[in-house]
Amino acid sequence: MPQPKEIFVKTDRCVGCMSCMLACAVEHSQSKTLFGAIAEARAPKSRLYVEWAAPDRKIPLVCRQCEDAPCMHACISGAITRNEDNIVVTNADKCIGCWTCVMVCPYGVIGRNMDTGKAYRCDRCPDREIPACVSACPTGALIYETVPEYSKSIRKQASQEFARAEGE
Amino acid sequence: MDRNATQYLIVGGSAAGMAAAHTIRSHDPMAPVTVLTDETDKPYFRPMIPFVVSGKKKSQDMAMEGCGPYVGKDIFVKTDSRVVSVDTDSHRVFLENNQVFNYGKILFATGSRPFIPPDIKGTESNGVFALRTLAHARKMNARAAQTQHAVLLGGGLLNLKAAFALLERGIKVTLVVYSPQVLSQLMDAEDAVLIRNALDDAGLEIRTGTAAVEIESDNSGVRGIVLDDHTKISCQMVCIGKGVRPNVEFLENSKIKLEKGIVADIHTACSQSDTFAAGDVAVTHDPVSGKPVMTALWTNAVEMGRCAGLNMAGLPTAYAGTFGILNATQIANMPFVSMGLVHTKDLDCEIFRSGGQGSFRKMVFSSDGRHLIGMVLIGDISNAGLYRHVIQGKKLVEKFKHHIIGHNLHWGHFIK
Repeated sequence: MPQPKEIFVKTDRCVGCMSCMLACAVEHSQSKTLFGAIAEARAPKSRLYVEWAAPDRKIPLVCRQCEDAPCMHACISGAITRNEDNIVVTNADKCIGCWTCVMVCPYGVIGRNMDTGKAYRCDRCPDREIPACVSACPTGALIYETVPEYSKSIRKQASQEFARAEGE
Repeated sequence: MDRNATQYLIVGGSAAGMAAAHTIRSHDPMAPVTVLTDETDKPYFRPMIPFVVSGKKKSQDMAMEGCGPYVGKDIFVKTDSRVVSVDTDSHRVFLENNQVFNYGKILFATGSRPFIPPDIKGTESNGVFALRTLAHARKMNARAAQTQHAVLLGGGLLNLKAAFALLERGIKVTLVVYSPQVLSQLMDAEDAVLIRNALDDAGLEIRTGTAAVEIESDNSGVRGIVLDDHTKISCQMVCIGKGVRPNVEFLENSKIKLEKGIVADIHTACSQSDTFAAGDVAVTHDPVSGKPVMTALWTNAVEMGRCAGLNMAGLPTAYAGTFGILNATQIANMPFVSMGLVHTKDLDCEIFRSGGQGSFRKMVFSSDGRHLIGMVLIGDISNAGLYRHVIQGKKLVEKFKHHIIGHNLHWGHFIK
């Protein structure tokens, strides 16, 4: 089985432009275009959230696809499953809007759609090669790689910084 | 006498039992796992049964198999199989239908059953329900067809859900609550105002501070109910939601240690070797108060069942304990969450209340103000999981306390 890719977040690179949120909402709209999305009766919703913390840090929060997903185990209607791509998905037909998943998600990344009475969450953009938020990020704060790829890049970066410091 | 043998035997086919079965299967792909349930239905999502009463969903819509984490293969579920006694020395259980099972390891996950107050007369009449199983829900659905007025005894969550299921069918519903307010188990009376208003607006008639004395019936079933203030309400259905009692009778002549429920240690093990307990029937510890608790909550039962499954499969896992109160739901279009210590009347603690149009929150901190120990959110319940994380993890709240009080805590506040 090939290594699955994950969305990694580099908080030091985020400038809080919220391009990811916009792209996410557009990708999950009916029309999948920005202008079409704006015109839709029910405003499409982003499934990730850029938060701010003092003194001035921007933190993009996105579903971590927990291995032991608390939301999936807590769900009282069997609406949350892990699909064949290992992605935790919420089946809106089965969701009854009891918000138990919201109560147990430690990251606060499950949204409540008050129009439909259903919970919604990151689905890793099943129609796309690269999730919309990652594609849209202009600063490389969101990265879509396998764990070995990502840790290799971190090691490389660390060794470069180390070498530079040595050279000074 | 039929004889059967299984490596893992699970008594009870609801949340705890099935969570354990599937957890065992994911760690032990080959060994036989057998689940015995006394119900006629295959395992299902019990919290969904009010939808059968309302007619919104069918029994098969709430089947557990293949949904959520319940995707393990080759788990043998035997319905109509009630265990009547257990011999832990010879590792055998005896069923009502005379079957005998030999087990390697056994899990007691027999859950609980509705408490029927013995001081109410006439509770055996036709048309009196205590909604617990899918079979009950189907009967209640059928009775609803000939019901114009239903009286529900008890103001807990289950009865409120049943009330709305009946309201949706156009039935007049009166809720008779002995406590001063509805949901008294989940919040103090003064904190439940918003929910009470929403229930009133939804057309639910609520009588607090009163109890039922007698249910009157004739050969067509329930005709009316008499309350302790001598008022009489004409009705065709009564539903009793007065809490639950653990199903432990089958262990009374066994060596398993009981204290109201089944005593389970930190690894979910019972007092005899190769025996485990999980779910409503197990006595465990509240992580906040440290006191022994029995909870009747789906989410807790699943968590404990999974823990028991790991221990049974040979992976020693400590059970972190559970909140006695851990509820999220939406009734009358009003979402709310209640968790941890929420009854603060005689509690030495620090409380922050805040309310506005259509929302309310109460954050309860320890007396020294350094830990969050409970909370109630009504209306805006976003990010509720973060507070659970803070309460359960006993986190020092110093650095982000104002974010808790202001209800704008997010994961970024935990990142160094």
